[in-house]
Amino acid sequence: MARNSGLLIKRRTTLLGVAGLAVAPFAAPHVARAADPIKIGLLLAKTGQIAGQTEYLANGTMLALEQRNNTVMGQPAELVWLDEPTPQGATQNMQKLVQENKVCAVLGGALSSNALAEEAKALELKIPFVCNNAAATDITGKNCNRYTFRLNTPVAVQSRMLAPYALSYGKKWYHITASFAFGQDILRTSRELLKVAGGTEVGVDEVPLNTADFSSFILKIRQAKPDVVVGGLSAGDLTTFLKQWNELGMKGKIPFVEIAIGDTDIWGVGPEAATGIFTKLWDAHNPNNPAEEKAFADAYLKKYGKPAADKAWMGWITARSLFESLDAAKSTDADKIIAALEAWKVPAGNASYSYRKFDHQMLVRNLAVAVKPKITDKWDYFDVKATLPENPAELDKVFGSQEEIGCKM
Amino acid sequence: MLDILLSQTVSGLVLGGLYVLIAIGLSIIFGLLGIVNFAHGAFFTLGAYFALSLVGAVGWPAVVLSPIIVGGIGMVAERLLIRRLYDKEPLISLIVTFALALLIEATVRLIYGGIGQPFSPPPFMSGFLVWGPILITKYRVGVLATTAMVLLLLWLFLEKTPFGRILRAGSRDPEMVGLLGINLPRVLTWVFGLGCAISGIAGVLAAPLWTVTPAMATNAIMPAFVVVAIGGLGSFAGAVIAGLLVGVVVALTIQFWPEASGAVMYLFMALMLLLRPRGLLGDRWERFE
Repeated sequence: MARNSGLLIKRRTTLLGVAGLAVAPFAAPHVARAADPIKIGLLLAKTGQIAGQTEYLANGTMLALEQRNNTVMGQPAELVWLDEPTPQGATQNMQKLVQENKVCAVLGGALSSNALAEEAKALELKIPFVCNNAAATDITGKNCNRYTFRLNTPVAVQSRMLAPYALSYGKKWYHITASFAFGQDILRTSRELLKVAGGTEVGVDEVPLNTADFSSFILKIRQAKPDVVVGGLSAGDLTTFLKQWNELGMKGKIPFVEIAIGDTDIWGVGPEAATGIFTKLWDAHNPNNPAEEKAFADAYLKKYGKPAADKAWMGWITARSLFESLDAAKSTDADKIIAALEAWKVPAGNASYSYRKFDHQMLVRNLAVAVKPKITDKWDYFDVKATLPENPAELDKVFGSQEEIGCKM
Repeated sequence: MLDILLSQTVSGLVLGGLYVLIAIGLSIIFGLLGIVNFAHGAFFTLGAYFALSLVGAVGWPAVVLSPIIVGGIGMVAERLLIRRLYDKEPLISLIVTFALALLIEATVRLIYGGIGQPFSPPPFMSGFLVWGPILITKYRVGVLATTAMVLLLLWLFLEKTPFGRILRAGSRDPEMVGLLGINLPRVLTWVFGLGCAISGIAGVLAAPLWTVTPAMATNAIMPAFVVVAIGGLGSFAGAVIAGLLVGVVVALTIQFWPEASGAVMYLFMALMLLLRPRGLLGDRWERFE
């Protein structure tokens, strides 16, 4: 009897327990959601010539999350990283991130051609997209939309910053640029600047992506005898060009300048062949880096065993902007995240980082850097010549007014 | 104008020489094994990376070991993987070798990282040679000379040695060769290793000129297929002529119409396939037709 009674109680308890578990999600839905991780999409190339840069962008992004104990809004958070092989492949993966992986925002956009396609998809999917690398002017210019935020300084602005250095060598310029969005943007802007300065374009080559041999292009440049070569090549193509520029004896004979170089591009060139003046956003060896960024560089070195490239910082700062905005928004609702990103502002030395409300472009001072005359550290190739603009108060003006850049959201 | 044309032609011959070396291995493997090896570019990459490591650890003379190691890896891949594809649909071999290419690229990325590795020509080959209007670096002359030597040795090997005769006979009638008591599977292993080793030589030669990255095969594999298609599948002489021709055509297009330099080789191939589908010197082989 006692045995039967015991069984009855157990059965009742079990039934109650099962029933309780079944109704629990309806009774307290917030409890169940709190256990789900916040998912953030990462859309960066995993293979191809740009993969050298994206490795650092991804590392910086992951470090930013790790420094927050992998939490956002007080909840566990995780990154879902998909590839961006081509513009079409990138938009398909963005759709997958949003619809299958249920991410609340996407970081990425290594190449301008991909980022331009991704920002259009972000608008269609109504998902906040923070572009961490691409520099094409139109991303926050005429193609801008309210879901897209961008870190890298637009090509047009960087070209204006670099122009005085190119003009210091002379007014006969030779352009060698990639035949895709980034290179075409540089060519268009540089030609305008040269025209205003009263200079002459003595030659121009639009180079296909993944060109393996630049010797024929270099022979043409040698024949044209320009005062300076203005480049618009990206990633591995720039590395190959500079290697062959030196191999064919042009280093030191005709100066080379280009905007937006990445550390990974120049590390692959090697100390013997590296040459040129460039713009870039950040340098790990810049003594003027704010304390927080020095701490980031130390943390990166500790975690990955090698110094942080500029791309690592770019991944880190964009991820920070998104994570801190999610904290401020206290929601994964797109409109609230956008409002928080527009309000996000952090100090950086005697300046600050923030996105402009009318074009969602981050205002960041650039560095004008020159390759050191003698390179003794394989991770440290540049001398910082200037921080541009010198006066942080001029940042907004240097990046152009809404009328000038043509962004209408 | 003549001076620049001559300079561009010489520059094109160097590029063409590298294309020939990459394509010839591909052509031999297809001609003798019937495998369209999508992983061929990956063996080119391995050649470059092994050279990088050997130069760093031992010095320049050690780079000769790089193609030997690549050939050895090729032989292992043949024994473990490629051998199972000989009697399968061509599509299967395409997919499997493509997967092998991705595996090799990912492994290189894991070991060396994704960024480009600095690698310059050896100090004893720095500097230029100037012949009248033609300017060429000593290293590029070295590339041309090495390419010519490798091709000559390969031709002698295939045409004048008993092993070469077995290879050629095996590619035409494997059953008959087997009936003669020759261990054809072992021969095929050596053939695949040889093709990979030649690709490795191209990788070693290209490493100081190109950017050494895990993705460097993308700059090699497509031109190699174009060269093989233009020269004729399985044709040694066809691959040599087509490779040099493609290099020169690309260089001259850069001079006159740089925007089209990336597309011109594909246009050339399309034209060839329209006019002569079997390529310049491709045979009509009963095995494939």
